[in-house]
Amino acid sequence: MKLNISRALGTVLLLSCAASAAAGGLKVIDPWVRSAPPNAPALGVFMTLENHSAADRAVVAARSSMTVDRVELHRTMMAGGVMKMMPQNAIPVASRSATVLKPGSWHIMLIGPDKVPAMGDKVRLTLVLDDGTEQSFEAIVRHGEMNMKTQDHQMKHE
Amino acid sequence: MSIKLSGNKLALPLLLLGLACLTAACERGPRAPQIESAFMLPEAATIADFNLSHLERGSYDIEDARGQWSLLFFGYTHCPDVCPTELFMLAEMMRGIENGAGAGPEPPQVVFVSVDPERDSLQHLQQYAGFYHPSFIGVTGEQSTIDRLCESIGVFYERVYYRNGKQVIPDASGTVPAGLEDSYLINHSASIFLLNPTGKLHAIFTAPHDPNTMIRDLAAIQAGWRS
Repeated sequence: MKLNISRALGTVLLLSCAASAAAGGLKVIDPWVRSAPPNAPALGVFMTLENHSAADRAVVAARSSMTVDRVELHRTMMAGGVMKMMPQNAIPVASRSATVLKPGSWHIMLIGPDKVPAMGDKVRLTLVLDDGTEQSFEAIVRHGEMNMKTQDHQMKHE
Repeated sequence: MSIKLSGNKLALPLLLLGLACLTAACERGPRAPQIESAFMLPEAATIADFNLSHLERGSYDIEDARGQWSLLFFGYTHCPDVCPTELFMLAEMMRGIENGAGAGPEPPQVVFVSVDPERDSLQHLQQYAGFYHPSFIGVTGEQSTIDRLCESIGVFYERVYYRNGKQVIPDASGTVPAGLEDSYLINHSASIFLLNPTGKLHAIFTAPHDPNTMIRDLAAIQAGWRS
């Protein structure tokens, strides 16, 4: 019985190791593209990036299945009531932590899209990590939700 | 009766408390509106006379701003993050007001002022602003007119150029760095400016913004202005 349990545990551990290795460097959670006017010159892409590994990671570039002029990594910061948008060389995701890409903070910009996708469309994205690996996934086009979350938060206090 | 039961020790404090409450209620009179997210100007301020353009109306000037409440937001359509966030928030606010069926504030005219007339044509600007809400108007004009309006309202903006993730500072003559003529970003104020129906600057909503708080504050501000 004792032996069986340890064998079972061993199998679980082995399986979980295999799973995290297969998942690559980062876990991409809830990726989305912000719905924008049909003539929008830039589109924002947001997601949560989790790093379950022992090493720090960074996203150093991104590509999209859409035809765009270029893809940039950006960060918005508020300084003295002024919003500053700054292109970044990398989006860091420290070991055993998460970086949230969201409106008003870190994000990926698709600049000069050939055609702005509609609500519900899916856009294929590829992230290039600092260790040279790449991760591809689909992001869905939807409305921004940052404000809605704030609303919910406030409503609870009423 | 309950006072008697609790003993005489409680009677005096309770009486005092009751009196204090009564006094406070009398002093306050009609309930003053509670403004949560706006900075109210002590006195509505006259702003610089301006003459901007709109696709269908032709011009948009101070006369157009009169006769209704207006919310002015300054930005540009190439804006990667802040303008889409704010315009979506303002659209949520408008939908909230419309769904309130007259119980809330009078719907304001939302005006998206582009500080980037070089890249934002009137048609492009209106299509962009109107996407968020059909009532939104996008206006722009001569850079000097925009500058004068910004200065008089207290809006800050600056063009910034980046190459390979590093900011490139234009030389003293202000010459745009080669190859970056069309790819600048603009740092700008994220505040929303409220003009009252006389066309004067009445209040400033500083970021971050929340649609429901904006609706409540607009209702309170409008009620205070009418009384």
